[in-house]
Amino acid sequence: MKKSTVFIASLFLFQILPALSIDFRSSDHEGFTRIVLEADQTFAFSVRNRPGQLQVLLPRHAAFKNQTPSLQNSRLLERITHELKEENGVLTIYFKGDASVQKNFVLEKPFRVVFDLVKSDSAAVTPPRSTESSDKPQDPGPIANTPAASSAKPIETICIDPGHGGEDLGAVGRSKLHEKDVTLKISLKLKKLIESRTGLRVLMTRDKDSEVSLNSRASIANNQQAQMFVSIHVNSSFRKSAFGSETYFVSLKATDPEALELAQKENQNPEDPGEAIKNDELKMILWNMAQTEFIRESSTLAEYVQNELNDLLGTRNRGVKQAPFRVLMRTAMPAILVETAFISNSAEEKKLQNEAFLDKIAFAIFNGISKFIYYYNTNIK
Amino acid sequence: MTEKTRRYLLIAIAVVFFVVLLLLVLSRKKTEHPEPEILNKTTENGAVTEFIKVRLFYFNEASGLLQPEYREIRVPDIREDLYKNFIDLLLASANGQIIPVPDGVQLRSVYYLPSKEMLVLDFNDTLINVFPGGTTAELEFIYFIVDNICYNFKEIKKVKLLSGGNENRTLAGHIDLEKPFFPDFSWLKNE
Repeated sequence: MKKSTVFIASLFLFQILPALSIDFRSSDHEGFTRIVLEADQTFAFSVRNRPGQLQVLLPRHAAFKNQTPSLQNSRLLERITHELKEENGVLTIYFKGDASVQKNFVLEKPFRVVFDLVKSDSAAVTPPRSTESSDKPQDPGPIANTPAASSAKPIETICIDPGHGGEDLGAVGRSKLHEKDVTLKISLKLKKLIESRTGLRVLMTRDKDSEVSLNSRASIANNQQAQMFVSIHVNSSFRKSAFGSETYFVSLKATDPEALELAQKENQNPEDPGEAIKNDELKMILWNMAQTEFIRESSTLAEYVQNELNDLLGTRNRGVKQAPFRVLMRTAMPAILVETAFISNSAEEKKLQNEAFLDKIAFAIFNGISKFIYYYNTNIK
Repeated sequence: MTEKTRRYLLIAIAVVFFVVLLLLVLSRKKTEHPEPEILNKTTENGAVTEFIKVRLFYFNEASGLLQPEYREIRVPDIREDLYKNFIDLLLASANGQIIPVPDGVQLRSVYYLPSKEMLVLDFNDTLINVFPGGTTAELEFIYFIVDNICYNFKEIKKVKLLSGGNENRTLAGHIDLEKPFFPDFSWLKNE
């Protein structure tokens, strides 16, 4: 495999990171060699397949139980190194001759990351029954849809969109707390978490108090080929008692069927677009259709994030919802909008002024994103 | 298969078919809204004026769903005047319920496009200038207007919202306003 692949597992512990102790095992089986990294807690990891070696990026605080894991006359493995590089610990496993990873999956209870290696000329060999307690990959979550795009590649770039900014204050609380400031704080915390714990590239539609149009936000994500778009917002309602968190993905329910039909016709004949293609409305519809391709992934991402918000925040679960968001309609990637809490509710406005609460929100979103990435990367065709 | 078995089988199939048909009819009935009741009233000078009984839906603090209330509204000669009077009534009276519309927002004009089964509502600039923000607030405003209209006037299938005579991208940075909205009756209580 020439392409680097990245797999992310979720992290569940917050703020104080206990020592992560990993047990490394390897064993030869008929037709393949199995590597198992076992820990008593879930951890984030990325994988890079390179010729002659496998690199696993681990959290910086990870340590091996057996200080220098030995390979004990392995058939396919030559040696192993573990070193700290930038933000990560890097485990490098060197192969004997021409070997490659045939399968990579995660098991739970206890948490295990498993790699099955084969000699490159025997990649089609079916491995015998697993010696682990289960040889089925872990169920990724509530919705089991595979990534839509057949040309999909593992997620490497995430775009975070802090809602509002500049003269656009967003919603304003009774104590004059501005939505734009809260969304920026949460987004910066989320960026830091993703970068430090996964090594993935994070784009921001804004990283200071500046005004960015909705179209530009989507353009930033599209032009930089982000593979996930997460818009962070704070909610407000005419009902002062409304509270809780909710996660949205785009709805095309409000789309005029006639207009959609027109757009589809134009798509079928791109060389003769006629007058209609110049029309902004049609362009918008075409963008809607771009998002349609990712609607299943967006739904799955929304579920993962909302589940984590429910677990960590202890606020009311308002659930996963759909609405025709202008910024989401224009993105060509899995895209969600997270409404973290109600600034119009006095109690939640107070919480939104608390850094620890914002840390929790960022961590919950990070957990949801991590689970989605694992699901997405393992389902790529 | 004996004659008796065949008869039982046919009866079973007929029962299943009848039950499915009944369920289909019932579910269809449930989603259909009653037409507004027409009331004729005689005024002091003896003229007969037509009124209709409409159902207005409002929010309250206890529920995120729109709760119904009944009102009567006079039917004017011009259809668009009826829609305008309906919106004015909707924005004016709530019996202590919540009207999810910012203070100062007024309806400027109404256009009905029969060929598109669409109603275009043009509010004053205040709608965009003072809208308080928040996804939920935007959705509350949109579906408060759209559901109330489409529930009471079956000839209207979608509603387009303008402000100050112009199309606007959003109310406050969230929901796309450039396209018309179809009703979403899941916002209504008991719908």
